[in-house]
Amino acid sequence: MSRFSKNKRLGIAESKGRYDLPLNKGSASNFMIVLVALMTFLAMMALSATFLLNSVTHHWSSGLENSLTIEIPAVDTDENIRSQEDIQALSQRVQDTLQPFAEINAATALTQEEIQELVSPWLGEDLAVGEMPLPGLISVELSSRNPENIQSITEAVKAIASDIKIDTHETWLNDILRLAGTLKISASFVTLIIGLTTITAIAGAIRSRMAEHRDDIELLHLMGASDMYITKQLQRHALILTIKGSLLGLGAGLVIIAAMSLLSSSDNPVMPGLSLDIVNISGLFLLPVAISFIAWITARFTVLRVLGQMP
Amino acid sequence: MIKFEHVGLRYGIGPEVLSDVNFTLEPGSFHFLTGPSGAGKTSLMSLMFLGRKPTRGLVTMFDQNVNDMDRAKLSKLRQKIGVVFQEFRLLPHLSAFDNVALPLRITGHRESEIKSNVDELLEWVGLGDYKNVLPLTLSGGQQQRVAIARAVIARPKLLLADEPTGNLDDNIGFRLMHLFEQLNRMGTTIVIATHSQSIMEKFGHPRLVLDSGTLHVHEQSNWVQKNIEGVY
Ligand SMILES: Nc1ncnc2c1ncn2[C@@H]1O[C@H](COP(=O)(O)OP(=O)(O)OP(=O)(O)O)[C@@H](O)[C@H]1O
Ligand SMILES: [Mg+2]
Repeated sequence: MSRFSKNKRLGIAESKGRYDLPLNKGSASNFMIVLVALMTFLAMMALSATFLLNSVTHHWSSGLENSLTIEIPAVDTDENIRSQEDIQALSQRVQDTLQPFAEINAATALTQEEIQELVSPWLGEDLAVGEMPLPGLISVELSSRNPENIQSITEAVKAIASDIKIDTHETWLNDILRLAGTLKISASFVTLIIGLTTITAIAGAIRSRMAEHRDDIELLHLMGASDMYITKQLQRHALILTIKGSLLGLGAGLVIIAAMSLLSSSDNPVMPGLSLDIVNISGLFLLPVAISFIAWITARFTVLRVLGQMP
Repeated sequence: MIKFEHVGLRYGIGPEVLSDVNFTLEPGSFHFLTGPSGAGKTSLMSLMFLGRKPTRGLVTMFDQNVNDMDRAKLSKLRQKIGVVFQEFRLLPHLSAFDNVALPLRITGHRESEIKSNVDELLEWVGLGDYKNVLPLTLSGGQQQRVAIARAVIARPKLLLADEPTGNLDDNIGFRLMHLFEQLNRMGTTIVIATHSQSIMEKFGHPRLVLDSGTLHVHEQSNWVQKNIEGVY
């Protein structure tokens, strides 16, 4: 009796949103949505990690990248201590020499007080000026950094006194950039794996959907449906599921990112907060689009392949 | 319209179900296909609706050799053929309306056109009140009428019906036969597989008789067996 009334209810076909195959039924659809949501979420995390790395390396290196420091050692090559006057004279000659270089924005000699301030953390506050020989330091700001510029600056400065040192911060910069590069490659690798997993999962889901409805697909073929007619329906189905899933994932990801940027303080000098600019945010919002596009293409090729194998 | 030359068919490694079948059907003709159960009527039909390819011999449909035709061309040809399957093969999750509408949707007709055509035909076969019902809850005869409506909705050039009146009482059976006659007068070539002596006698079309794998033709009211090659 109960079976009868159940059948009665089943007897009225509900609107199918124009699918010829019962694609909207079953838990397989929900599984796909959850999976795509998860993949989108993970891809977002990898992408924001890349953004964070970019801003950290930018923060660390921007102070160093377009600058170099010229040091006039306090002790010359013959072990003689240079007098303050000698250093000042040398420093002035260096500045004059650098004057004609177009790519140099500014070359400022640090005063004795400034240098003392720099060394005080290591040597102690109450070191009197003149008690200890201090080197001369000239901070140079470049408009652009390229090896030829640095080469010709070095040559010009070395011509004044061969023991003058030029610190290009190269090693320091390279270390940071190498570390950041490695991390970014890892993030890209994770993104790649996420992409491949998504493709595999969608192709698998489509295949099992088609196996499940093989008889119906065969019937559509017998009625003259082209491969494209059938493909379009499965493709649209996959697209709708992925859009739902990736929007869910995007929502979850945005919540986490918002929480993270609230928690990370932006006045920490070493770690800048995760602050996303408009480009970064567009990147995040493009993720669902990218994932849906991947799903759409994957569905198309999978369906056409499977149909090609059918009689 | 249809030409079979030395056609043979076997399923897998089984015996030949059809062996050396030869016949030609002219456009606009109307034939009954008969023979004992298991003689291969459904199998022969499946070759005609391009559901299988013969294991040997040559099948020509609409003046085209179908043996090595590509998928795209095959689906174009199939669109010109209406089929009533012996076991109906309605899509169980689609309403009677959507089942009947399928051939029109496949050929890309407008929804408004589909609605009026399908509604009219469902009324005509007496299923006006069952448009939104799933096949599962229809009786055998009602399902058969949905299957027939689906086969004729797109005005096919060729109609193949496998036992289309098997589940119907004589009254509705004759009514549907008249529908087929009407289609035939409008130019559709028709082949109907049937066991029903009363229908074959009442309508008197030539008979294709399948027996032990070969086909013979009986012209109207002519009970002398002739090999089809002798006729054409
Ligand atoms: N898909 C199949 N695979 C293997 N053998 C099949 C298949 N379909 C039909 N056969 C065999 O082919 C033979 C002819 O079957 P077919 O269905 O064509 O007969 P029929 O004339 O339509 O019979 P009926 O009047 O009972 O419908 C039978 O012996 C059957 O076992
Ligand atoms: Mg049969």
